[in-house]
Amino acid sequence: MNAIVTDQIEKEVPEETRGKKRAGSALDKFISLGAVIVLFAFFSITARNFFTVRNVLTLALQTSTITLMGIGETFTIITAGIDLSIGSVIALSGTIAVMASIAGLPIWLSMIIGLIVGVVCGLLNGLMITRLKLPPFIATLGMMMVARGVALTITNANAWPAAEGFGVLGNGAILGTGPQFPGISYPVIIMILVFIIFSFILNRTRIGRYTYALGSNEEAARLSGIKVNGVKIVAYIISGLLAGLVGVILASRMVTSQPNSAVGYELNAIAAAVIGGTSLMGGVGTVGGTVIGSFIIGILTVGLTMAGANYFMQQIVIGLVVIGAVAVDQLRSHA
Amino acid sequence: MDIRDSSPAQDVILEVVGVSKSFPGVKALDNVSFDLRRGEVHALVGENGAGKSTLMKILSGVYQADEGILRYKGEEVTFRDVTQARDAGVGIIYQELNLIPHLSVAANIFIGREPLTQLGTLDEKKMNDDTVAILNRLNVSLDPTIRLNQLSVSKQQMVEIAKALFFDSEVLIMDEPTSALTESEIEELFRIIHTLRDRGVAIIYISHRLEELKHIVDRISIFRDGHWVSTNDYADIGMDEIVNRMVGRKIQNQFPPKQNDPTTEKMLEVHNIVRKGILHDISFDLYRGEILGISGLMGAGRSELGRAIFGADPIDSGEVIMNGNKLSLKSPSDAISAGIAYLSENRKEEGLAVEMQLTENITMANVQGVSQRFGVLSRGRETKVAQEYVDQLVIKTPSLTQIVKNLSGGNQQKTVIAKWLFCNSKILIFDEPTRGIDVGTKYAVYKLIGRLAQEGKGIIMISSDLPELFGLADRLLVLHEGRLAATLTTAETTPDEVLNYAAGLGTFTSSSIKN
Repeated sequence: MNAIVTDQIEKEVPEETRGKKRAGSALDKFISLGAVIVLFAFFSITARNFFTVRNVLTLALQTSTITLMGIGETFTIITAGIDLSIGSVIALSGTIAVMASIAGLPIWLSMIIGLIVGVVCGLLNGLMITRLKLPPFIATLGMMMVARGVALTITNANAWPAAEGFGVLGNGAILGTGPQFPGISYPVIIMILVFIIFSFILNRTRIGRYTYALGSNEEAARLSGIKVNGVKIVAYIISGLLAGLVGVILASRMVTSQPNSAVGYELNAIAAAVIGGTSLMGGVGTVGGTVIGSFIIGILTVGLTMAGANYFMQQIVIGLVVIGAVAVDQLRSHA
Repeated sequence: MDIRDSSPAQDVILEVVGVSKSFPGVKALDNVSFDLRRGEVHALVGENGAGKSTLMKILSGVYQADEGILRYKGEEVTFRDVTQARDAGVGIIYQELNLIPHLSVAANIFIGREPLTQLGTLDEKKMNDDTVAILNRLNVSLDPTIRLNQLSVSKQQMVEIAKALFFDSEVLIMDEPTSALTESEIEELFRIIHTLRDRGVAIIYISHRLEELKHIVDRISIFRDGHWVSTNDYADIGMDEIVNRMVGRKIQNQFPPKQNDPTTEKMLEVHNIVRKGILHDISFDLYRGEILGISGLMGAGRSELGRAIFGADPIDSGEVIMNGNKLSLKSPSDAISAGIAYLSENRKEEGLAVEMQLTENITMANVQGVSQRFGVLSRGRETKVAQEYVDQLVIKTPSLTQIVKNLSGGNQQKTVIAKWLFCNSKILIFDEPTRGIDVGTKYAVYKLIGRLAQEGKGIIMISSDLPELFGLADRLLVLHEGRLAATLTTAETTPDEVLNYAAGLGTFTSSSIKN
């Protein structure tokens, strides 16, 4: 009850929290990476052929889609927003890229047009949120419906075959030596590059710093002179760009326009980000965490399939993992 | 620690001429003029609602004046936004901390102007090194990489000050900078202010703690109800005169005459409440018909204590006994059925469904009281109940079906009170009951609180407004860092004594009564 005692307590607090923080973040990384390793080991034992070079390459290829989407989603969620339009934007950008190639444009240009479609969708999301003051949920829900509708309209809901050479990006690989080592697929290389680039943007650049600031305390960010609307728009553009990239890759893999593809993919992207430790309240999350989250989902999907579990069972398991990951996070942060 | 030893330079750096600013329904500033000189500490004082904060926000670019001129370094300026004001050299430290909880100390200090490496990436090393350097100037030792939300409030405030210092501001506005600081930290702050002043920085210092002004202030300007009252050299004006000018004529009738007469019948006994890290071993009694005030600085645990008694936050140990029965404190529903009401300081977020009608809000916590068999609501009975309370509490509303959002702050407050009265509450915990309410309505709320006590309710009133506590409360609990620093009888104590206890300086004297 006297001043001296409370003063001592006051001074000890930072020392204590300092140690706690360091240990905490190290532990977090250890736990989630550990989960990937444990899962991997589990399926290597229970499912024959899981731990083979060939299968690991397949796993990486399959997971590249969700990783790319998840990284974009991570940006919007860190700003305390969300992007529900990803699946539709994937379909629209892939479709338009295919249609451009059919119209006779060079393959590379068609694909860039696909990316631009993603960017434009993201920009429109950002403008609706910042200029029309729409909640991100509503703005991107609207975009989800509109983009899907446009994709269906321009293709007349048909799958059109793409021009010659359109399939290289989605199906090609480098360093292949035959059936034993089919090579590293282009999508996997793209995934690695995107991971490095966007991890760098989020950790090492101003725009990344402002993304966190905005999600953590928007008013304080604004009063610090940060153009919060601009930062928000950039986050949705990144999400749109990566959705466009996935759209082009998937269209290339299937070598057709698929206006009905990727329905509900945004939910997988959100799940990957959340498993990876991104908080829907904003201000918290990392690209690396989302990559780990994506791989947890990818390993579960491939592993359970190989272990003989059907699709329904996979859904149940992944659902439980999402709930469990967030529950553990909540319990730890309130402990 | 008297540092008013050098006479301030006479050249004016910032001049406000005839500035007015209105918000819907209120004229916050009315034709205000004042000037600020280089190398002076200029105090701005006035009650809540006097217009100080609005003026500060105009000076720092948050708001723009409706009328009037701002002259900075001899030139007429309008600061369109915070960045522009800051780049011109006008910095502000807000009362409510404006920091980013999930970022590090260094990231917060450099937010918006991060140094970059040649590659265009954030120069973390420079930020961390410079942060340590500037914190050293403040005599604060902090790990620059620690996240803000892991620091105590006072440490966060030090970061806020370091952030403002880093801009080499020529004008620095400090809004209640000491409200969360301990005495030794306040001395540090004053030393820093002294250093800045000697370097020619002009400092506007806003504070409710009048007694601390004598240590640092050169001149003082007094505001009341959006008007400028006077500007004097601090040495030329006494404390009594400052207070008189602040409150104006309304000092006589700011509070209603005492209505309640506390009994000796114990209504509530609180024994050794502990919530780890927040409340430490707090015990007190509440008597029937008594108004018990709870005072303390920001972060002292005032609201937390109210919420603990109400069962809104879990406690680690301790018990609450009401009329001889031990209460389960697991959830608010237990407290409500026992007859305890908690009127939150965030009326809109926690106390009212603002999109719903007045009638529906009044009956919200006791819907069974207006229900017929099988849980079917009786609209007729509901209307009758609502009309009774509207008449009784004089809620000014065009109709009973008015959407609560459209009522004034004072009438919203009355609606919350009506809601709890209809639950047959015997103990009402008011948390900041007059925050955001205009001066005229405050009187009505005070009168109502007094009348409730007179009718035999027990009132716990949490407030950061000392005059309000002195005007109403019979006894005062003073909290300091989660501990009960003193239990005082209002008639036998002074605001100074309360502030001393609140700052953790007080020792028990003969005038304090410990239960």
